[in-house]
Amino acid sequence: MSRPGRGELRIRFAVAALALCGLLLSPVLKLHAADSAVEVQLDAKNAGPRSVESLTARGILRDYRFAWTSLSHALESNSVDPLAGAFSGEASQWLRQTVASQQKSGLSRRYLGQSHQLEVVFYAPEGDVMELHDTAQYESQIRDKDTTIHDEHVVVHYIVLMTPGADRWVIRQLQAVPQF
Amino acid sequence: MARLLQLGAVICLAGAFVELCAAQDFRVPATAVAGEGASISTTGIGKAIFYLVGPGVSRKNDLTLGEEVQLGPQDLRNAGDYLAIVCSGTCRSESFYVSAAQPANLTFLVHPSRVPVAQGDAVSGVAFPFDQYHNLVLTPENISFQLRGKETPLWSRSVRTQNGVAWFRTASGKSAGALQVVASLGDLNTPRAVEQVASDPCNLRITGQRTPKGILVQTEPVHDCAGNVVPDGTIVTFTATGAAGVGTVDAPIKQGIARAQMEAPGATTISVASGVVMGNEIRVGAQP
Repeated sequence: MSRPGRGELRIRFAVAALALCGLLLSPVLKLHAADSAVEVQLDAKNAGPRSVESLTARGILRDYRFAWTSLSHALESNSVDPLAGAFSGEASQWLRQTVASQQKSGLSRRYLGQSHQLEVVFYAPEGDVMELHDTAQYESQIRDKDTTIHDEHVVVHYIVLMTPGADRWVIRQLQAVPQF
Repeated sequence: MARLLQLGAVICLAGAFVELCAAQDFRVPATAVAGEGASISTTGIGKAIFYLVGPGVSRKNDLTLGEEVQLGPQDLRNAGDYLAIVCSGTCRSESFYVSAAQPANLTFLVHPSRVPVAQGDAVSGVAFPFDQYHNLVLTPENISFQLRGKETPLWSRSVRTQNGVAWFRTASGKSAGALQVVASLGDLNTPRAVEQVASDPCNLRITGQRTPKGILVQTEPVHDCAGNVVPDGTIVTFTATGAAGVGTVDAPIKQGIARAQMEAPGATTISVASGVVMGNEIRVGAQP
């Protein structure tokens, strides 16, 4: 059996390096792709009694987008890991229940082409809690293992309570309502 | 040929009949309340699969068309948007909302935990009513806020919730001590405590006398403008100005009085301040 030449070794090394890069970067690329699919617009004009400063508004936008990206990953992959950090309290609890229930029934959900129109309707005087209205639009897909049993473009109204955490805003309450 | 056509027609009609009978139809509840059961009625003949998808639930079970599907209280604990899907060959879906039940908890946030007396808009509170399943109650409710100091009612107001939240902001009381802040909704009472402390010193006055070691200066008992004793530990600054220059000493208030020993052999002017409040000045003659 002949030993591979220097040129062949280089090619093998390059292929292995590319494969490793692909392996390492794939979650990053996937996260970025999913993240960019979540559009969020924020209207804080009517916030009160405390007004929302621009830095806070940017933080809310960033963290709300991250939360929905995490929620989508969790309910599509039936894993609670993506929920860590973005949700707490009741919102975290029912999302974890949902994942557990989906694992049991074999169902999964996908939220595609998300667009969220957020409006701040209440910002506490001391800045420790914020209530928002989210008019969300997305394609809701429900799958039973590999079969899509429901696929519909929906408009859903959510009441959202967010509180500041150590380094981000977290969703404590996420509750759909028929209308605002 | 005609017989063949007849046979075809019969087969076609039979097929259509079977399809018609098997076609699933169902009706979801018009209104549903969290933690209360509900039922979904179905029509048709044959077997199907029923799915319930909502916040906290993903249920799948076999169904005989024509029978009712019972949704237990556990299925509908979380308020929100639910989707019922029935699949028998094809899938059909209907959505319905579950609203929060009656208020069972009152989340009440009060700020700050420690506040100087007689400060305008210094105390604020925010209350959210939740049902027993921790769903935010969005139907308007009247929440009563009360402030009590040493068993004396100081302030009260009834506020109607908007989007599930009620809030207030008011001035602190005039006396130092515990301030009890209570939010009430029906039989629900959520108390919080705020410690009211004296405000800035008022009429800060000092006396001084020469001693063998220098000058002993001390304040009169330090009060705020409402007569509350300024808390121990509050820093009072004494400044001595004389021929030798300027010297300062910071002294904490102990039992209402701040004291300091200052070295100043010559004639000296001593002033006092605490925070932004200035007191009187005294002159002490040179050491004999």
